[in-house]
Amino acid sequence: MNANIVNLTTNPCKMCMPMGAVTAFYGIRKCMSILHGSQGCSTYIRRHMATHYNEPVDIASSSLTEEGTVFGGTKNLLKGLANLIKLYEPEVIGVSTTCLAETIGEDVDAIIKSFYAATPGCAVKIINVAAAGYGGTQFEGYFRALHATVSQTQMDATPHNGVNVITGPISPADTRALKALLASTGIASVLLPDLSQNLDGIHAETYKRLPGGGTPLSAVSAMAGAHATLELSPFCPDEYSPGAYLEATYGVPLTRLALPVGLRDTDAFLAALVDLGAVIPQSVGEERGRYLDAMVDSHKYNAAARAAIFGEPDFVHSLTRFACENGIIPVLAAAGTRSPRLADALKDEMAAAAERQFVEEYDIVDGADFERIDAYVEKNRANILIGNSDARRIAEKRHLPLVRRAFPIHDRVGGQRRRMLLYEGSLSLLDEIANAMLAHTEETFRGALFHDLCHDGQKKKNARTKDADGLAGCGERSLSVTTAARGAARKNAARTATHPCFSYGACKTAARIHLPVAYGCNIGCRYCLRKYDCPNESRPGVSSILLSPEEAFGRFKAAREMFSHLMVVGIAGPGDALANFSRTESTLRMIREYDPDITFCLSTNGLMLPVHASRLLELGVSHVTVTINAVDPAIGAKIYRFVNFMGTRHEGETAAAILLANQLSGLKFLTGNGVVCKVNIVLLKGVNDHHIERVVATARSLGASLTNIMRLIPVPGSDFACLPPVSNGELTKIRGICEKHLSQMRHCKHCRADAAGLLDHDESIVFRTGEQKKIPARPPRARLECAEAPKNGAAP
Amino acid sequence: MDPKAHVLERYHAKVFKNRKEHILRIDHAEEAQTITANTRTIPGIITNRGCCYAGCKGVVLGPLKDVAVITHGPIGCGFYSWGTRRNKAAPDEEGKNFTQYCFSTDMQEPDIVFGGDKKLRAAIDEVYSLFSPGSIMICSTCPVGLIGDDIHAVAAEAEKKYGIPVVAYSCEGYKGVSQSAGHHIANNGLMKRIIGADDAPPATKYSINLLGEYNIGGDGWEVERILKRCGYEIVSIFTGDGSWKKIARSHMANLNIVQCHRSINYVAEMMKEKYGVDWLKVNFIGVAAVADSLRRMAKYFGDAELSRRTEEVIADESAAIAGEMDSCKTKLDGKTAALFVGGSRAHHYMHLLAELGVRTVLTGHEFGHRDDYEGRKVLPFIKEDADNKNIEHLHVEPDQKKYRAFLSQEEYGRLKAEIGLEDYAGMIRDMENGSYVVDDLNHFETEQFLKCLQPDIFFSGIKDKYMLQKAGVLSRQLHSYDYSGPYAGYTGAIRFGHDVIMGLYTPAWRFVTPPWRNISSLEGSFGGDI
Repeated sequence: MNANIVNLTTNPCKMCMPMGAVTAFYGIRKCMSILHGSQGCSTYIRRHMATHYNEPVDIASSSLTEEGTVFGGTKNLLKGLANLIKLYEPEVIGVSTTCLAETIGEDVDAIIKSFYAATPGCAVKIINVAAAGYGGTQFEGYFRALHATVSQTQMDATPHNGVNVITGPISPADTRALKALLASTGIASVLLPDLSQNLDGIHAETYKRLPGGGTPLSAVSAMAGAHATLELSPFCPDEYSPGAYLEATYGVPLTRLALPVGLRDTDAFLAALVDLGAVIPQSVGEERGRYLDAMVDSHKYNAAARAAIFGEPDFVHSLTRFACENGIIPVLAAAGTRSPRLADALKDEMAAAAERQFVEEYDIVDGADFERIDAYVEKNRANILIGNSDARRIAEKRHLPLVRRAFPIHDRVGGQRRRMLLYEGSLSLLDEIANAMLAHTEETFRGALFHDLCHDGQKKKNARTKDADGLAGCGERSLSVTTAARGAARKNAARTATHPCFSYGACKTAARIHLPVAYGCNIGCRYCLRKYDCPNESRPGVSSILLSPEEAFGRFKAAREMFSHLMVVGIAGPGDALANFSRTESTLRMIREYDPDITFCLSTNGLMLPVHASRLLELGVSHVTVTINAVDPAIGAKIYRFVNFMGTRHEGETAAAILLANQLSGLKFLTGNGVVCKVNIVLLKGVNDHHIERVVATARSLGASLTNIMRLIPVPGSDFACLPPVSNGELTKIRGICEKHLSQMRHCKHCRADAAGLLDHDESIVFRTGEQKKIPARPPRARLECAEAPKNGAAP
Repeated sequence: MDPKAHVLERYHAKVFKNRKEHILRIDHAEEAQTITANTRTIPGIITNRGCCYAGCKGVVLGPLKDVAVITHGPIGCGFYSWGTRRNKAAPDEEGKNFTQYCFSTDMQEPDIVFGGDKKLRAAIDEVYSLFSPGSIMICSTCPVGLIGDDIHAVAAEAEKKYGIPVVAYSCEGYKGVSQSAGHHIANNGLMKRIIGADDAPPATKYSINLLGEYNIGGDGWEVERILKRCGYEIVSIFTGDGSWKKIARSHMANLNIVQCHRSINYVAEMMKEKYGVDWLKVNFIGVAAVADSLRRMAKYFGDAELSRRTEEVIADESAAIAGEMDSCKTKLDGKTAALFVGGSRAHHYMHLLAELGVRTVLTGHEFGHRDDYEGRKVLPFIKEDADNKNIEHLHVEPDQKKYRAFLSQEEYGRLKAEIGLEDYAGMIRDMENGSYVVDDLNHFETEQFLKCLQPDIFFSGIKDKYMLQKAGVLSRQLHSYDYSGPYAGYTGAIRFGHDVIMGLYTPAWRFVTPPWRNISSLEGSFGGDI
């Protein structure tokens, strides 16, 4: 916000005087308006009013041209008046001047006199109001027109018991409610102006050019003899206050009140009516009770609201008070008009509201355009806008709800029927605000929960993992985590401390055993060949034997006897743990029943994760490694020969895309549920070496805890047997680059699928005895099915 | 009674005399029917016309997305012209789009008394420091002309200071008789200051400017899509989704195509005169009109490949919507319409309506001139009046360096008549015998014509929309498209059809008479006067 911007108005929050003047004249019965000036004024104002009210808005113009600016506009105005009377037969005509007429100094009084002189017997009352566009806004224009109406009408000062009620610009629907209330209280009243019908007309069989609603001039005339005047406009300028005029000229006592919006100001209005002899019907008491009930019910939604309220000063004043009494924090009260009194009127109220809810920044401004309002919205972090529809641009830009009230409302229908007055109007406004807050919550809280608890929550876990590793915590803000994932995450993170692969600190002390139960694989990696077994060779995919789940259980029991420090059971192939899921599952289940504490770890290519991940959670798998070599199907297509998914064999980019989608969604699901995940990446020179950082960044974004960038072990006979070797230096460098995204595993030993013992000291040889079967190079289909038949139980 | 007489009978003698010249019953047997247009509005009759400022700022300059247009005047004018026309714009390459902004000097009483140029100068500084626009334009309002602020001097000074084009327009509301004067003033300003400022040549031979397309509801984007499919390079658009930077090199294009003749013909004429760019009146509203426009454009370039592509596009696009058009027609055949829009649309939409089976019984322009009704052949016979003379008529001469003719003299001679270069035949020629054309139709006349002609649909604007609908006639806004559109081109045609059907067949119309009204036949009051 630039405080020095004083000459430029950007996106105004106000209009000009003629707009207000013609609006007020619409509340006088059988009144037509003519603007004395160039015809654009009428056309523009008609267009804006018609769009808001969805009603015919007929405003004539004297259509001054350049000639008129030189020789005066008398001729045009005289012609205009005559034509208007001939075609529309109005009883009253409101003549408002414009910038043009005021600048050339038109003497409208004299023109009207000459019109009467030239038109003997003319019964039309012509009221004129000076309304230069540069002299004020629509707010002033409105009151000037009302002032002109009471001061130029022939008044009848015969005293009577009636009450004058004068309002600022309010919606036709609010006017109807006000009229109905006044009618129900048993006192006679004159409402000035009365917009209830003319700007919210009915659809009837025949159309009447001149609408029949509004305050009749005879009623205006009787205002001089009224018992009292209630002027529902604290900011009406004194010199144009119709109430002040009636008081000064005819001695009608004036009471100025706020617009009856909200509980306190409606109470005050009704109290004032009671003082004047009104009897408040029981139904109004019930309305009050209903509104109060709603205030209590919806306070929790309203308390989250930080409102920016803008528009005409009366509106801003009333809505701010309404907000305060409902626990809505008005962080901005902005009048588009110059209204120095606004700050005085609101400062105590707003200070109290802010203090109550520990809000430090709020502002009261006047003469504000929307550029300035927007700056305050940003500064004071408003989360809801209340006012006319010109704030829609801010709402759209900042994704904020806009509760539309006042004039103009151009982007919604029914501007003429928006309510805010009296208890029922306040209730509908309150509901709308509470619902806007609720709608925002409803639309966003699931995403927020996911983000905070699953996604950011995972980062939190990373921090813990690092701590467990003896690495520095990353200092992220602590989040309140409340779901089952929290418990799981905490437990799993604790297990990391004793997992030799996930924690460097544990690799010297904690033993693990890989149980080679999963022999089948569902994808074809070009670097992989699983047909060799050599006791001296150690690399993934190699295993001397294939165990049945029962045999694996037996080996686990033996290993537990042998290694006192056995902490982890892993299933790492020799195929894919999830491609043989029933074997993996029954192995883990048997072990879990026997040993509830042992850590389960699993290594997979990720293809079947979306299918089996939730079972993994049930089995208590706390650590999963997913090998993701590329996050771009085009690169993946170079790495994978095929992907066999759900019985269909895919090749090329299709295959890579299916694999990738499953890897990513599976990884996200696991990390979201508190499983500690590592991503293995095989560094393939010339294939994915330029792409590693992206894989790591993706792994991080999905909540993985660390990545393991592995050197390719070229296997003769595999497609990638001849890829150039990767030097230690290169590997270190790339790990260094990726470290900024995620911690790196640097102690990987490329373990066999039947490894046992410490990472540095494989003791699996002790299990390789004669009674166990050799792994078949390519198990025939029939045997695979047989082997997986759970009831059969017997391994091939 | 004859509708024209019925409409006129309520008028005073003077008004009667004036208005009868603006209302014409079409009879093609009569030779060269004439109409009075572009004359002063009658005071007190509720006109739909706007002011000079509205035409200049609101219509022509407002849509330029990379220009910060400052309204120099009291707040109302700027406010009322802010986002009121639905001219869509996408941000330019620098991400700028000022069409959602309203900049105003918000003049106050002291500025009127002591002059507003100081405030204007400061406002320019502020707009530049806040938004750094590539160009600033200033539009004046009524009081500015009266108090004599020299906005042109302020603009020249700012231009020197910031090194960007700063152009002032004296488009005070009272000038001329309608928006039309504002169009002319805006055209003059663009011609004097922007067009010809950048000589970067187009990439291809098929380079065109699209004139008089304001991209209401995205019309321009649909037109662009079709033109690009045919292989045209669109150098600039006047001015929907338009850019002053592109307009600066518009003189380098090989053809100007003109959609809205009224608002932009001055630029077309002056560019022909000064730079030799030929212009062709086109119409992208209506399926046959689009095809006809595309074919005439292809003929202008005289290229077999372009013609082949054009035919391919026409065949492909028409085939894609033919079924939908037929469906729409089953619901609309035999309906009648009235069209009262600005200065061109009434003519454009007649064709599309006819394709949907709708007869047009009344048309009119808010601010059209005689040539829009009767064709440019009447231009030499239009008498200049005081109001016209007040609008500067820019005299241009061929530019010694930049003038180039795309066609040879022989080609030009052949094509001029064949495809209608530099010509517009006007609306009346295409109207049916017995239909009415009314210039500056006002609120009262609209109501009278409704009674006589009873059209099923009345296409006009927001100001008479609710009056029409209260009178039981469907109204569709052709200025803003009632938040719909695009209606141009091929996809637009069926959208238009659906929108009209939706309005005509909405069940609400059937419920006007409440059931109890059919039961009681007694009317009166009990116990005398209540």
